[in-house]
Amino acid sequence: MHNLKQNAKQLIHPLVAIVLGLLAGAAAILVVGGSVTETFAEMWKGAFGNFYFFTNTLARSTPIILVGLGVAVAFRAGFLNMGSEGQMLLGALAASLTAIYMPGPVWIKIPVIFAVGMIVGGLYSAFASWLDTRFRMNLIITTLLLNYIAQYLTGYLVSYPFKDTTGSAALAQTQMVDKSLWLDKLFKGMSVHTGFIIAIAATLILYVFMKYTVSGYEIRSLGSNPRFAAYGGVKRGRLMLFSMLLSGAFAGLAGTVEVLGTQYRFLDGALSAPNYAFTGIMAAMLASSNPIGTALAAVLLAALQTGGMGVERNTDVPLEISSVIQAVLILFVTARISYSFIKRRKGGAASGSVS
Amino acid sequence: MDQFLDISLFNSTIRMVTPILLAALGGALCARVGFFNVALEGMILTGAFTAIVGNHFFGNVWLAVLFAAGCVTLFSWLLAFISLHLKANEIIVGISFNFLAAGLTTFTLRALFDVKGAYYDKNMTGLPTWNIPEVQDIPVLGGIISGHSPLVYLAFLLAAVMQYYLFKTKSGFRLLASGENPVAAQSLGIKVRRIQYGAILASGLLCGLAGAQLSLGQVTMFSEGMTGGRGFIALVATMLGQNNPLGVVASSLLFGFMDAISIRLQGFSLPTHFTLMLPFVVTLIAMFFFKDKSYLQHSNKINGRS
Repeated sequence: MHNLKQNAKQLIHPLVAIVLGLLAGAAAILVVGGSVTETFAEMWKGAFGNFYFFTNTLARSTPIILVGLGVAVAFRAGFLNMGSEGQMLLGALAASLTAIYMPGPVWIKIPVIFAVGMIVGGLYSAFASWLDTRFRMNLIITTLLLNYIAQYLTGYLVSYPFKDTTGSAALAQTQMVDKSLWLDKLFKGMSVHTGFIIAIAATLILYVFMKYTVSGYEIRSLGSNPRFAAYGGVKRGRLMLFSMLLSGAFAGLAGTVEVLGTQYRFLDGALSAPNYAFTGIMAAMLASSNPIGTALAAVLLAALQTGGMGVERNTDVPLEISSVIQAVLILFVTARISYSFIKRRKGGAASGSVS
Repeated sequence: MDQFLDISLFNSTIRMVTPILLAALGGALCARVGFFNVALEGMILTGAFTAIVGNHFFGNVWLAVLFAAGCVTLFSWLLAFISLHLKANEIIVGISFNFLAAGLTTFTLRALFDVKGAYYDKNMTGLPTWNIPEVQDIPVLGGIISGHSPLVYLAFLLAAVMQYYLFKTKSGFRLLASGENPVAAQSLGIKVRRIQYGAILASGLLCGLAGAQLSLGQVTMFSEGMTGGRGFIALVATMLGQNNPLGVVASSLLFGFMDAISIRLQGFSLPTHFTLMLPFVVTLIAMFFFKDKSYLQHSNKINGRS
């Protein structure tokens, strides 16, 4: 009973935020002079309207889920990893280069590609955590700065040394990955691929890991009460390195899956333009870092984005309406408005004091 | 010719440093009252956008700057309300404010001007440049100091004013006290909450000016995400300057110089990727060498180190 109540409590909060986000979206629609019901109907249709759109949404959610899971691990341990973008980009580039240049049979190559993508993403993230533990350089800032560095570095690598010179297109991209390495599409003609299954599996594995293993417990305790964790013998530095490594590995996996499942090559900007990384961060924030919640939130955010495209196609309301809804939603979740209102009413005297 | 180029490099440093300096001063004020303002990036972006909107509707640069400052101050009030009043984690709220700024500006850009990505109007006039009569004739210095937009001079003036205010006035002392030890300050009758609000609102105002300089001073246009990480660099400048206005000027000058060099290097045959990367690499290296103690306490608090 107690458990049920707690779960319900956890759910109410994001639900309230979703309602408020949609209300803000409605206000924005009215401002630009659109019809609220029509716009939301088109948004729903664009995201879930038919099988094609539905699978489109799932395909878009795939990298968002994986990035979100990674961010969730770091958040749970109490570290604000804002560097998913860079970790994803480097992982994706490393994976695509392995796929292109590594010789050998397919059944060896596939695991190696995934391993390389995850390790490179993980190491880039671990580098930031090393800077924090060893040199006390603030993690939020370093991870943010490392994003820009990774973006320009990968951009350089695919515009010069590893540029595709075989095709006629003058794009900054690598060669195409061999067809034998492509992730299968789940349904013929639909964009959702096996990567989605990988993302779901990763969600479940992470859920079990966080809930039932010793390391998972240590991560959670470090995040929720660092002093108690230290008292209990949790080594902060080592655990930070581990959780950041894991976090980056998820981002690297997101990049790898996107390369093998959708792009089939590393195209400069193809992973940053849809804002997968920051949407993943939003998903983790929305679900307060619960793995399953993060996956659900990722699908929701992906649906908002694909729905926005539907709105753009069929109404006069611009596609950016979804970014307004997203932003307001995330703001209300982080503000914990409902929660703190209740808390303040309960502890009236405490509200006057300085935190 | 060689020397002329050198002067123009320093001249553009002064110009490039202004948005970073203004935002970093705002960040320093916030840090002084114990508020780690991660939302600088989003606030500058909002400022840049509202400055263009103001210019479009009022047709007057000065009203546009005021409009931008006003809008961002309002925006920062929301930040203050949510993090101080509703007691949300300031970092998380700051990050979501950056998302909010990005979302709102792209949407409004589309809704108002019906363009995607960037808005440019060739009839729009940017901020004027001031040639200071006596100063511009000084051989080397004149070329560096003279010929900037008024906001550039305002930024440096504000830094000096802030230095005086924080360390020489009673009210500045109260501000420092409320950041140093809020409980003790409260017990002496200092209205800590009000001072915190004030600092955050002031940082909003400064970021509004920073954004206006970016979109009306350096260029006369707005493009999505045109801040390009300047807010985060400003945050680092705040830390390196030990939240000291004059220190912030010094560290901002370093980053502005890197920005200017980065633009200068594009003229050479170097790949632009590296020149664009330079400011961020230098920022990281600077973080490595200079550590700010007060900031460290802060990060300890955030990251849970006792």
